[in-house]
Amino acid sequence: MTAGGPRLAVEGVSAGYDRITVLHDLTLAVAPGELLAVVGANGAGKTTMLRVVSGLLPARAGRVRLDGEDVTGRPAERLAGAGIAHVPENRLVFPGMSVADNLTLGAYSRRRAGRTAADEDRAIVWDLFPRLRDRALQSAGTLSGGEQQMLAIARGLMARPRLLLLDEPSLGLAPKLVTEIFSVLGRLRDRGDLAVVLVEQNARAALRIADRAVVLDRGRLLLEGTPDELLTDPRVQAAYLGRGYTPATT
Amino acid sequence: MIDLLQLVVAGLSTGAAYGLVGVGFVAIHSVTGIINLAQGEFAMVAGFVAIALLGAGFPLAAAAVAAVVTVAVLAGVIERVAVAPAAGSSAVVYIMLTLGVSTTLKATALLVAGPQPRALPAFTPGVLDLGGVQVRPQDLWILVATVIAAAALYVFLERTTTGRAFRACAEQPVAARLVGISPSRMSTLSWVLAGIVGAVAGVVSSPVFQTDWNIGLFLGLKGFVAASMGGLASIPAAILGGLLLGVVERLVAGYISSGLQDAVAFFLLIILLVARPSGVFGRTGAVARV
Repeated sequence: MTAGGPRLAVEGVSAGYDRITVLHDLTLAVAPGELLAVVGANGAGKTTMLRVVSGLLPARAGRVRLDGEDVTGRPAERLAGAGIAHVPENRLVFPGMSVADNLTLGAYSRRRAGRTAADEDRAIVWDLFPRLRDRALQSAGTLSGGEQQMLAIARGLMARPRLLLLDEPSLGLAPKLVTEIFSVLGRLRDRGDLAVVLVEQNARAALRIADRAVVLDRGRLLLEGTPDELLTDPRVQAAYLGRGYTPATT
Repeated sequence: MIDLLQLVVAGLSTGAAYGLVGVGFVAIHSVTGIINLAQGEFAMVAGFVAIALLGAGFPLAAAAVAAVVTVAVLAGVIERVAVAPAAGSSAVVYIMLTLGVSTTLKATALLVAGPQPRALPAFTPGVLDLGGVQVRPQDLWILVATVIAAAALYVFLERTTTGRAFRACAEQPVAARLVGISPSRMSTLSWVLAGIVGAVAGVVSSPVFQTDWNIGLFLGLKGFVAASMGGLASIPAAILGGLLLGVVERLVAGYISSGLQDAVAFFLLIILLVARPSGVFGRTGAVARV
């Protein structure tokens, strides 16, 4: 582990499905304690990028490094134990199991760490998402969309990740819930060590809490900068924020 | 009335054996998507192993347990050696593969044990008279073994971390990988579980059905029908499906014609596949559940 180096480094990664290449020579980095927003249109390669980082999809070229260590090509089930938590698109909670069992499985990669460690982690995520505690014994399939999203994030946190990857956490949620979930993401980042990659189509909400942001376009890095820089960029305004958008004055 | 009760008891016991074999289909299919055509052969091999050990002087209980353990290991080895290397293949490849495994096991049994059927002795001899209903004690043994196997499976799946991981893999394979559950390990585990339930069925039903090299076809088909009642996705539904099939078979044999007994399963299967492909106890569009 190199002191002061990036938590995640994606170096010249290309990836795709069958004969289609989705990501082209993508390079980006995230520091510990940093929240990086990744915005872009449908099909820009945001989800593909996360799938490569978490090991669900092999890269065709390039390297992925976690704290300097080359983890390219390691399968997802092993990267979960190495500190990468990927909260996938559409939540993918275990619907037939209780909220509590979903959380227990979130700590699966650390199952040898013992019961007390898992209990501590559960207390932490219940503190972040008090609603989940109220529904601990309810089966996850009966939760609302917002609660399922909270559960998916909580399940990811149970692995004590160094890097948290979030794919469209705001998808299909009411604005109030988006605010609630994003404020938790802000709190996680403020703890100082966790690096967060937030993939969002809701660029406005994402840029509000991000430290830095990148814009992907057809599998390539289009822009990179602070949220303020991106919010005032005419290309971003036109393509991702809707015409006539003016940054909030607060 | 006595006749009816007698038929029902006998039907429940054969049905329990079908159900156990059916649970094996569910265990493998829900985690790997594979329909294991060698499922019935697990029962056949276990029957022969138990008979051989008994013949070699082991007590019946030890022979039975050793047969189950042997088949559990065999199933795990088959998964590692024959199935895992084909990971990612199409359904047709797996059908050919498991058919090949089935044929190999049958041919080996025929070479080693010969074509004559053999059988374990009934675990307890005699006939029980329960208020006029004549019951073979072996029928009760089959039911007791099924209850114990089902209860052990329930505790394993609901109360242990590995069991939860197994269910997670069946419910949501991508998310299961993301929390660190290895799909290939769970695949091996599913074969071992299928080996165990198949072996239990083969051992306890040997005194009733006898064991020969081809008994796996019979048990496998009946077990498949049982499992299909829950859309190959639910363990309780497979056991219920087995019990239902066993009872209906006996009633048809007793009241209509014993020649029709074996047609019942296929008649049920055809109706099922046409009318309710997701199973009698399954729900259309429901998520796979173990």
